Amino acid sequence: MTNASEPDLLLFSQEYEAKVSKSGQRKNLEFEPLSTTALILEDRPANLPAKSEEEAQRHRQEYDEMVAEAKKRELKEAQKKKKQMKERFKQEESIVNAMVVWNNEILPNWESMRGTRRVRDLWWQGLPPNVRGKVWSLAIGNEMNITSDLYEIFLSRAKERWKSFRETGSEMESDADSADRESSLDLIKLDISRTFPPLFIFQKGGPYHDLLHSVLGAYTCYRPDVGYVQGMSFIAAVLILNLEEAEAFIAFTNLLNKPCQMAFFRVDHELMLKYFAAFEVFFEENLPRLFNHFKSSNLTPDLYLIDWIFTLYTKSLPLDVACRVWDVFCRDGEEFLFRTGLGILRLYEEVLLQMDFIHIAQFLTRLPEDTPSERLFSCIANTQMISGNRKWTQVFNALLKDKEMEKSSSPTVKNS
Amino acid sequence: MSGGAELGFTEHLFKVLVIGDHKVGKTSFVKRYVKNQFYEELKTTIGVDFSMKVIDWDSHTRVRLQLWDIAGQERLRGLNRVFFKRSSGALVVYDMTNGSTLDGALNWKHELDSQVMLKNGRPIPAVLLANKCDETKVCRRNASLLEKLCQEKGFIGWFQTSAKENINVDEAAKFLVKHILQNNEESVKEEEQNMQINLKQQSKSNSTCC
Repeated sequence: MTNASEPDLLLFSQEYEAKVSKSGQRKNLEFEPLSTTALILEDRPANLPAKSEEEAQRHRQEYDEMVAEAKKRELKEAQKKKKQMKERFKQEESIVNAMVVWNNEILPNWESMRGTRRVRDLWWQGLPPNVRGKVWSLAIGNEMNITSDLYEIFLSRAKERWKSFRETGSEMESDADSADRESSLDLIKLDISRTFPPLFIFQKGGPYHDLLHSVLGAYTCYRPDVGYVQGMSFIAAVLILNLEEAEAFIAFTNLLNKPCQMAFFRVDHELMLKYFAAFEVFFEENLPRLFNHFKSSNLTPDLYLIDWIFTLYTKSLPLDVACRVWDVFCRDGEEFLFRTGLGILRLYEEVLLQMDFIHIAQFLTRLPEDTPSERLFSCIANTQMISGNRKWTQVFNALLKDKEMEKSSSPTVKNS
Repeated sequence: MSGGAELGFTEHLFKVLVIGDHKVGKTSFVKRYVKNQFYEELKTTIGVDFSMKVIDWDSHTRVRLQLWDIAGQERLRGLNRVFFKRSSGALVVYDMTNGSTLDGALNWKHELDSQVMLKNGRPIPAVLLANKCDETKVCRRNASLLEKLCQEKGFIGWFQTSAKENINVDEAAKFLVKHILQNNEESVKEEEQNMQINLKQQSKSNSTCC
């Protein structure tokens, strides 16, 4: 885990420093109002007539009131800060505690413990950064039986192709089998620099630029039938931030092989429409007012779900919040992606109800950068994935059957 | 798509597509046009990026442009086709430093015409943008070639643009809006004529039945 733990370590030490410096500050914050020392009651300058006794008395009283008010305000402020710090310490403490529990108890007994109530609850609260990658890997699994050797093989194939690409200016054999030339090398290169630009990690010259290039290149060699599709770079990037290179590749290929991801990345439009339709069933169930507002504004779910699902929220949500979504997505599967979507809509329901089409569309594809993780998760928790006794999979499967019915019934109609 | 006239003041709402191959600078163009800013690195567009530009066209006309900046990857094209409907105009962008994106732009135009048209059956107005002109120059031969392409493929015109250096961005958009407004006026007139014909027919039929 040499590569992957670096950013974690960095983050950790930064947080630790912040903690130390803030705790020092806290001691100074003992409720001694600071700004009031600048408030001084003075007599009139000597060249002006002195205040009358009555006036002086009144001014003294006003001054006392002002000071008392300022003290009260500062006291409140200080208490609020203290409370915030306390919460933060508590949070950090619970992360440290959780880390111990994950490392010492859960991970060694993964198979027997992963489904227990206690682990599931702990999981919901967010995975500690340094076990995150490990838990993701375990939860995603390795149905495809990819090994790090296999990764090396596909990577060297990708490297050969890049080499010949550089030399001849075109991809050799690949031209024949991929209908769209842009599907791979060229596009990967362009997209990498457009993955999390503000982080400056994946851009050319950045520490993870080559890594991201390798993982995506190896994938297009491993799955030429899927190739590279825009959005993949975001997913691979998040995995690289949390896992070692080969592990990231293994998680990436297995993650993309999940039915929902396959439907999207193969751009199976029919199937995607089924996902959107299922989403709408639960949308109407959970947020009828907003659902109707969207309907009357002609705002269809594809306008925001395409962005959300293709990138698994890494493009539209702040990265730390997106990682928490991934945590539970790894636990609960595709259903959680759509539940998260509904949680976002619930979180911003009141704002969205006031907006028209273009502003909603804009808002949802560029969510506020300060989207609060805790509040979002309580909104997700309040979102029930039950519609008239039917769960997500039942609703989705019913929609799929409709499709099969359409298919099987249409030829008979034609025949008759 | 026009709003009601109040005291001679009209407000229009138009949907404008921004299409073209990936990485030709669609999002940069829109950012420059709407916010007058340029960013070296922007996030890839996955579905659609939405923007809004309000133009006070003249003292009695306001235009609200909904800009639909659509992801460029070939693979996602089928998916994004559904976003074409009900649009009033299009900016079709290609990258002057990458010749194959001009072919791409022509494909996009073709696709556009097969998906949307005006009420009278004509294609919706589309402007061809030769973007990134800060990096290269259009020679005279190319200019006449582009001129010819525009006529053949039914673009209303073409501009050399640079989102980076802010060249011809407003001009190109203005040119498109002008055409959209003209089309709009024409279609309103046509509708009025149709209405009158209908009314006449109705009154005729009314009179016959009475």
